[in-house]
Amino acid sequence: MTKRQKQRLVRGVLYLVLLAGVLAVGLLADWETTRRNFFNAQLAREMFPDVLTIAARNTLLYTFLAFSFGLVFGLVLALMRLSSIKPYRWLATIYIETFRGLPALLTIFLVGIGIPIAFGTRWPTLVTITLGLGIVAAAYMAETIRAGIEGVPKGQMEAARSLGMTYTWAMISIVIPQGFRIIIPPLTNELVLLIKDTSLLFVIGTTPATKELLKFGRDLLNTHANATPLIVVGAVYLAITVPLTQLVRILERRNARSR
Amino acid sequence: MATPANEVPAIEVRNLHKSFGDLEVLKGIDFSVMPGEVVCVIGPSGSGKSTLLRCVNRLEESSSGQVLIEGDDITHPDADVDALRSRIGMVFQAFNLFPHLSVLRNLTIAQQRVRRRRRAEARDVAERTLERVGLSDKIDAYPSHLSGGQQQRVAIARALSMEPDMMLFDEPTSALDPELVGEVLAVMRDLAREGMTMMVVTHEMGFAKEVGDRVVFMDDGAVVEEGPPQQILTDPQHERTRRFLQMVG
Ligand SMILES: Nc1ncnc2c1ncn2[C@@H]1O[C@H](COP(=O)(O)OP(=O)(O)OP(=O)(O)O)[C@@H](O)[C@H]1O
Ligand SMILES: [Mg+2]
Repeated sequence: MTKRQKQRLVRGVLYLVLLAGVLAVGLLADWETTRRNFFNAQLAREMFPDVLTIAARNTLLYTFLAFSFGLVFGLVLALMRLSSIKPYRWLATIYIETFRGLPALLTIFLVGIGIPIAFGTRWPTLVTITLGLGIVAAAYMAETIRAGIEGVPKGQMEAARSLGMTYTWAMISIVIPQGFRIIIPPLTNELVLLIKDTSLLFVIGTTPATKELLKFGRDLLNTHANATPLIVVGAVYLAITVPLTQLVRILERRNARSR
Repeated sequence: MATPANEVPAIEVRNLHKSFGDLEVLKGIDFSVMPGEVVCVIGPSGSGKSTLLRCVNRLEESSSGQVLIEGDDITHPDADVDALRSRIGMVFQAFNLFPHLSVLRNLTIAQQRVRRRRRAEARDVAERTLERVGLSDKIDAYPSHLSGGQQQRVAIARALSMEPDMMLFDEPTSALDPELVGEVLAVMRDLAREGMTMMVVTHEMGFAKEVGDRVVFMDDGAVVEEGPPQQILTDPQHERTRRFLQMVG
């Protein structure tokens, strides 16, 4: 057999395997049970509009709050890591390594349950949520932002300083804006991770008005003993996250081209 | 040059040393530039020309010695470095324009932040300096849309819009395609003619000969000899200078 023939044979076999797999699923699966338990149209219809007006809205709100907190605090941490003052560098490093090394759920428990028990005070729910997710997000974003700032050519800072700008002004108006341009794709990836991480928030307790998507779906799963709600909220997640990951792809391609 | 005895040098370098770790790059430099003078610094690669220039506006910290800017010691720990730097324009080999800002913003941002000029005033100054470098029509362009020669002229305009007392150039034409070198040198020649104090690190011997009031030859971290361009470039006293000039043709 020539090399070409061998390649064609392998391709043919792979197609056959695929066909066999599809046939097996099509013939052997219990379609009626699947439809009733995962694609119950009646149940799906009943979830609207609450799945959007309450659950998706909350998911987006929590994501926005945690992302904003993470961005601002992450920038502070990144600048601390780049500081010429050693204790600042140490503090930032310890913070970043700690919260990247712990399960996000542990931090959420700590903020949402550990601290209220210890001090007998309860923060407003939104504050708890912002901190619970944002503390971890800041640790990840700090590293991304630092990489962005370090990715700006040194000549930019030097040109700004040679014009008499202070270090702070040069950072604010020259280096940071360029650094952020570099890291928009990785930051968007972190946004997607954060959207999914809002599903961990159920552990701090929710009311009907504060449910996010997954909690909303799980509660309906329990009441109806039917998996359709999970499919519906899954579709809503994808409707949010897939456009974002596509956006990242476009941005990365454009970045690659402009270089 | 016949200078009055009481005139303060624009730049005065006294016994300047600079080491990077174990590597001593500047080995005791003494050197000055008088107001209105154009001094060209030449020398082989690695001889410390850029380092010297960068020590003058303290982008590089010297290890010992002094640099006086119009009599003010910029190397002093308490010196107001930012204020001193704003009196010294600097032009880099790689242009270092701010790519995220338009040409106009490149020229106004430091005027507003450092000189505390109002927007309209900063814009007026920017328009005037752009005209000096022949790029009035590029005021709204972004740096990436300009040729290398145009970018370097904008970089010169950016430095000029701070109305500095002196200008430092670090091989301003070395990154340019040969056909773009002329337009940048022409701008620099005009500047010199208008009386700007200039310290120019360059490999352009023609420019040094024509525009320079004095040429300084550096080798291995030291000033080997200096004098009028005619003398240094055609009749050098030192063997090392002679060898360097033969090499660059
Ligand atoms: N930041 C730095 N860290 C370590 N060594 C450095 C640094 N900057 C310069 N040097 C070294 O100092 C020496 C002088 O460098 P400098 O750039 O001043 O030379 P130059 O005369 O400008 O050379 P060229 O003509 O190639 O630009 C070189 O050996 C260089 O490797
Ligand atoms: Mg150099």
